[in-house]
Amino acid sequence: MMLKRLFSERPLRLPHIRPYVPRPSDPSIFWFNSERGDIVSDVVNRICVAHETDRSRLEMALNDAAFHEIRRLEQQRDEEARDRLGYWRSMIRRIGKMDDAEQRQALHTIVANMAHDVAGNFDPRVYRFARQAIPRMVAGVMEPRRFASSFTAPQSEVLSRVLRVQGDIDHLQYLQSEGSLVFVPTHSSNLDSIVLAQALEVSGLPPVIYGAGKNLFTNPIISFFMHNLGAYRVDRRIRVRLYKEVLTLYSQVMIERGYHSLFFPGGTRSRSGMIERHLKLGLLGSAVEAFTTNRVRRVQRPVWFVPTTINYALVLEAETLIRDWLTEEGQTRYIIEDDEFSQIDRWVAFFRKVVGMRGACIIRFGEPIDPFGNAIDEKGGSLSPAGHNIDPGGYVERRGTPVVDLSRDAAYTRELGTVLAERYEQDTVLMSTQVVAHVLYRHLVQATPGMDLFARMRLRNEVSIDRAVVHKDLGDARDRLLALEAKGQVLISDVVREDSPDQLIEAALQFWSGYHNSTAASLEADRVLLCDPSLLLYYQNRLVPFADRIADTEQMQAACEIEALGVHR
Amino acid sequence: MSLQVGVVGAGGFGQAIARAAARQEHDVVLWSRRERSVPESIRASTNIDDMKDRDVIFLAAPARHATSIADQLGKVVDGRHLIVHVSRGLIGAELKTITTVLREHTAARRLGALAGPLVPNALAEGRPSGAILGTMFPEVTEMVREAIGGMELRIYDTTDVLGVQLASATVGFLTVVLAYAQATGVEPSTLAVLATRGMVEISRIGQALGASEETFMGLAGLGDLIAAVAGDERAESLVGRALARGAELASAVAEAGAYVEGVEVAEHMIEQAHRLGLQTPISSVFVEISNRRMTPEDALHALMERRVGPE
Repeated sequence: MMLKRLFSERPLRLPHIRPYVPRPSDPSIFWFNSERGDIVSDVVNRICVAHETDRSRLEMALNDAAFHEIRRLEQQRDEEARDRLGYWRSMIRRIGKMDDAEQRQALHTIVANMAHDVAGNFDPRVYRFARQAIPRMVAGVMEPRRFASSFTAPQSEVLSRVLRVQGDIDHLQYLQSEGSLVFVPTHSSNLDSIVLAQALEVSGLPPVIYGAGKNLFTNPIISFFMHNLGAYRVDRRIRVRLYKEVLTLYSQVMIERGYHSLFFPGGTRSRSGMIERHLKLGLLGSAVEAFTTNRVRRVQRPVWFVPTTINYALVLEAETLIRDWLTEEGQTRYIIEDDEFSQIDRWVAFFRKVVGMRGACIIRFGEPIDPFGNAIDEKGGSLSPAGHNIDPGGYVERRGTPVVDLSRDAAYTRELGTVLAERYEQDTVLMSTQVVAHVLYRHLVQATPGMDLFARMRLRNEVSIDRAVVHKDLGDARDRLLALEAKGQVLISDVVREDSPDQLIEAALQFWSGYHNSTAASLEADRVLLCDPSLLLYYQNRLVPFADRIADTEQMQAACEIEALGVHR
Repeated sequence: MSLQVGVVGAGGFGQAIARAAARQEHDVVLWSRRERSVPESIRASTNIDDMKDRDVIFLAAPARHATSIADQLGKVVDGRHLIVHVSRGLIGAELKTITTVLREHTAARRLGALAGPLVPNALAEGRPSGAILGTMFPEVTEMVREAIGGMELRIYDTTDVLGVQLASATVGFLTVVLAYAQATGVEPSTLAVLATRGMVEISRIGQALGASEETFMGLAGLGDLIAAVAGDERAESLVGRALARGAELASAVAEAGAYVEGVEVAEHMIEQAHRLGLQTPISSVFVEISNRRMTPEDALHALMERRVGPE
């Protein structure tokens, strides 16, 4: 325990005999260690300067920090509490009595501690090891009989079969050398960051920095890799306003300096399985602000957002996530300590399951956009809807001069959030299990019109459907999805496009029953029995925005009920 | 500091805005498709390129022309421009707002919707009045106040951009209903019930579509309706009265002499409301009357026999 805590609190770094000198061709993150001190100082100085001019604001910030930290540590009652509670209790007593200089010093100390705790590290040796070893280890777990050979094979066939990457990779490869890329993916699973890192790697795209929840640092091995691959630590238990400022400013400074970033605008994993619509704007705003700040300083470094969808046919934590959503705890619990992500046997079962699935995970990099939601051309120039090149700097000008205006940029960020949500819908790749689940769940709704969602969830093994009807409905749904795809409203996986309804339903049932603890549905002679409505709900929820567009007249009422689920988000 | 103000559309509202801005000694260009004679303080133009150097552009065109004008504007505006529209309409079955159209067809993002009890004559002549501006951008509010606000015009602001546009459009329809009712001689108490429940009805639809109830109870909704009922002689009232005299909808609209946005909005609004599971007794009954599928007596009966509950 001592050792585990030591590593999680102070992540292990490898000793340097000779410091690595980055080559010009190295990705920007290879420069991080040499700039780390500057970046932290920049963050600390900007926050201190913003507070120092106004004593009441400074005092408020100190009180807020002390109050929230005391409350958190009193609840935590752990070793950190024993170490730090005294400091904060002493601080809250002294704040009112401090003179200006003492208050400024206290602020500087607090912010510097926070910034050092947040800032990551980047070790090229760990990066090289990780990019070679991790895909092979995952492939080895997927196909144990090839475990030994997976370490010598030039490239993992298993991974390339399971993981598909879509999008205009050439365009992204060009842009990465011209400005800052901000990848903003949908979020379904804790595997997302690992899968995305692999997708970047196989696409020849540079590594990115991203904020990882401190809970991921509790495992010393994961902590070691996270910390040394540029991830910055985000402790969501800390409610202090200064801490949030440190996080967003850290992200902003990194983007200003040209580091490619990744954050999940949905905040946490989608508990319901639905495509995120209401996005958290804090970190998105940091990227918009980075663009503005650079323009005000006359630095012509563009920022581009890459809407990315991560699409799984099977989700590692599906059962826990949907249970959490149904019990409405998803809003308050950010860490599910006992979910499938923390259980190694579930990982193994999961990977072994997906190895048999063609294209079990599809990462789609959407068309990049500028911070104002405009499309860009092949050279990264912003385009108006009429297709003309426009200067994105115009958006931050006031009567011809670029200015920082936080209210204006907050409005741009909200608009950007709306554009991203639209793009997520268009760029979502609907997977076979999701389409099958939708057709089955729609039958359940048709059989129980107007029934309360939670009552419906209790209908285990009570509703069955003629298999021929399911096949027909599945074929119809697929045809309508193909029509939507032709209009650019959604995408479907090759499996959905190519397999027959018969194959789709059998494969989906097989995938669910072999991995999840409960069975979503099963074949009983010539009927499909709906076994676990909550699991069907989770997978079908991806189709909520499209429900009415793929229903016929008879199914329309059920489709409207399904569509209304979106209101719960 | 003088602003470069552009006005697109030379109808009543467009001319009034141009005059109000010129009165504040701003440099004003009024664009329309056809050549117009305008006061000396305003420059008339038929070339959309003249909007390129404007700080703020007011779009004063009916909703049905919004898409084609936005297309033209899209060729000349970029991220520097601020655009504010004064249309009372919504577009198509999905009730698309004009700011959405501007967002889709132009590169401008700093957008706003000006609504409320503002009428062209008062604005043009500088009589005391008030309006509500829906925008997410504080600088849009500042610039509109600078362009046309002042001692004669109080411009309040809200970030509920959607709410302002939905309220403005649906109040237009409710104005037709109330003018019709007044012209058929209903009692003041009946009129009060019709107006209040009508506001509740459109407010519920607005809220279901994402607007705030407060917006409907503010200048964009209730304030606008009071001005209409008090008799500001807007086109919607003329349509309502013509219908009460037995005119067909098309001729009532023609008689009003102006494009009435609210009438077109009504049917789409009802469709959307039903889709959202909301009831629209007043709106539905009035659409039936205006299409001569129901008599006024039957309509009143249909409304009065409905189950009554808490307010």
